[in-house]
Amino acid sequence: MSGAAANPLGGSGRLGLLLESAGAWLLGLIWAAPLLYAIWTAFHGAEFAARLQLAAPLTLENFVKAWDAAPFARYFLNSFILVTSILAAQLVLSTLAAFAFARFAFVGRDVMFALVLVQLMIMPDILIVENYRTMRALALPDTILGIGLPYMASAFGIFLLRQTFKGVPRELDEAARVEGCTLLGLLWKVYVPLAKPVYIAFGLVSVSFHWNNFLWPLIITNSVTTRPVTVGLSVFASTDQGIDWSIITAATLMTSGPLLIAFLLFQRQFVQSFMRAGIR
Amino acid sequence: MNLSLKRMLGLAMIAGGLSAGAAQAQTTLQFYFPVAVGGPITKIVDGMVADFEKAHPAIKVKSIYAGSYSDTLTKVLTAIKGGDVPQVSVILSTDMYTLIDEDAIVPIESLLKTDDDKKWLAGFYPGFMENSRTGGKTWGVPFQRSTIVMYWNKDAFKEAGLDPEKPPQTWAELVSMGQKLTKRDDKGNVTQWGIQIPSSGFPYWLFQALTTQNDVRLMNEAGTKTNYDDPKVVEALQFWVDLSRKLKIHPPGIVDWGTTPKDFFERKVAIMWTTTGNLTNVRANAKFPFGVAMMPANKRRGSPTGGGNFYVFKKSTPEQQAASLVFMKWMTSPEQAAKWGIATGYVAVSPAAFETEAMKAYVKDFPPAAVARDQLQYAWAELSTHENQRVTKALNDGLQAALTGAKTPAAAMKDAQAEAERILKPYR
Repeated sequence: MSGAAANPLGGSGRLGLLLESAGAWLLGLIWAAPLLYAIWTAFHGAEFAARLQLAAPLTLENFVKAWDAAPFARYFLNSFILVTSILAAQLVLSTLAAFAFARFAFVGRDVMFALVLVQLMIMPDILIVENYRTMRALALPDTILGIGLPYMASAFGIFLLRQTFKGVPRELDEAARVEGCTLLGLLWKVYVPLAKPVYIAFGLVSVSFHWNNFLWPLIITNSVTTRPVTVGLSVFASTDQGIDWSIITAATLMTSGPLLIAFLLFQRQFVQSFMRAGIR
Repeated sequence: MNLSLKRMLGLAMIAGGLSAGAAQAQTTLQFYFPVAVGGPITKIVDGMVADFEKAHPAIKVKSIYAGSYSDTLTKVLTAIKGGDVPQVSVILSTDMYTLIDEDAIVPIESLLKTDDDKKWLAGFYPGFMENSRTGGKTWGVPFQRSTIVMYWNKDAFKEAGLDPEKPPQTWAELVSMGQKLTKRDDKGNVTQWGIQIPSSGFPYWLFQALTTQNDVRLMNEAGTKTNYDDPKVVEALQFWVDLSRKLKIHPPGIVDWGTTPKDFFERKVAIMWTTTGNLTNVRANAKFPFGVAMMPANKRRGSPTGGGNFYVFKKSTPEQQAASLVFMKWMTSPEQAAKWGIATGYVAVSPAAFETEAMKAYVKDFPPAAVARDQLQYAWAELSTHENQRVTKALNDGLQAALTGAKTPAAAMKDAQAEAERILKPYR
């Protein structure tokens, strides 16, 4: 992308911009095509699933059918409890751990931080069996806590916040101490506010990951009262009797809807957060 | 589960103490079930389970829906390794070797006690037992089983000047009729294909219809050797490839399994091959008269069987295993098998089920329901070996490479066989 801006031939800067915009639009359209198709199919009758007629009658029937086919209200509640409890625990634990790693000297700190980094390298899917054993020992299979617990100490969150906290100027830290701020007060009044963009970016990644997570929730849950929307949605993806795209897309839009709406609402903040929190 | 079981045992012991051992302990079964056939299926299964519990108050069945077949297998294997096991599960019949290799299941014979039990196990269609037995033992009990059948659009046949009551009987007829059924617009674009055989996801299954019709088996009974590069296998693949690439009466490239019924409903294709499990769906959604027939023959007629079996898991208590037997016997009893077959389109698993009043009335009203059963006598076991996923994938990759034109059929099958050999060698 920077190739065009750094073009030595001054006159072709406009052309570069044009190309860049065209490229961005193209990528955007390719990215949005499945979503646009989902919206088209979900709001039209099954006979228009593969035919693009602008005059085709709109309908909400697919949503009604999908909603009735599975206890989605319960699934939504489960998903909501799941992502909020995970995020809350992650924020508290990561903040405290990151603060310790960033600002305290204690025996074994570097070894422990290395262990946290190692955890970053491991795909959670590899640990499924071991996690299952642990949950079973704690008598947690088939509970929402059981889905969330393995993810509550986030290595990624600790790493990200430690880097951010390390970037906080020492002078601010010392000034607060001179003013008589307690240790937790220091964390709360100086470090956390300065890391706000990082918190927002991390929160977005965490929520969307856990909202979309499928395999682990499928394995650890058995009943309607604990299953999140992704697992509930898989009921529609069954292929033996052929696929009814209209209902699948309606159900998919319903399940991804809350996230899409949240993103559109907070889009500006998210984008800014990502830019400011960019990997240092 | 364990807690509730203990509690129940405790309660039962108290009750037993009070009534001098008259009360029986209630046994709880966890029953994993793959939702392979769309939303309403869970309601049908729930209904059957509720009826079962009414008839057998001493047994409690907790049905757990576990997504697709492969999701169910993953969930079951994880639970076993994590020390938690279901007692009964429906899993693909082809996963038998995998479950045996994992030492997860018990042979059904070990559960049988009475002559009635033995008679029950002998009562299934032999075609379905091919995939349920190995090494002289039975490991699975047929439940939601299917074969591939041919659906045709009678209106399209009429428009093409063909007799709408006479589907193709041989490969040659399939080609000649397919040519008449393929319609093109003025620019030469196809508006209706003659025939469609889906090739996404599990092309090996559909392909096995062609190989069976060409009188060649894809694997040996012990599940340790494949015959992918047999000349007759290559010939069958050449036929499939020719349908689209040479004769141009079959859509080119990879054809999606899930949307094939939809293409049929929308008249984009006049003949489709798909599972008999689709029968109820087609009946509900086809807006034209359609027929269902056995697939055409080449050297012989034929189809692979498909679908899921009941398995009983090793780590359950003797009481649970006994209860599992009672549950399976009930679920596959003629009345229930008939009910299940009518509700879904799966083939009722025993001849006795077709003798029930409900099934007789259904077949009389809707003769296509009997086609899959009649075809069973020509059916062979679905491709299944040790390391089933990987060995099957070798074939799937080869088939798709040939269908897209990336490899010739002969080269594709040679590569697939080499890969399968490499994987299966340790098992011989």
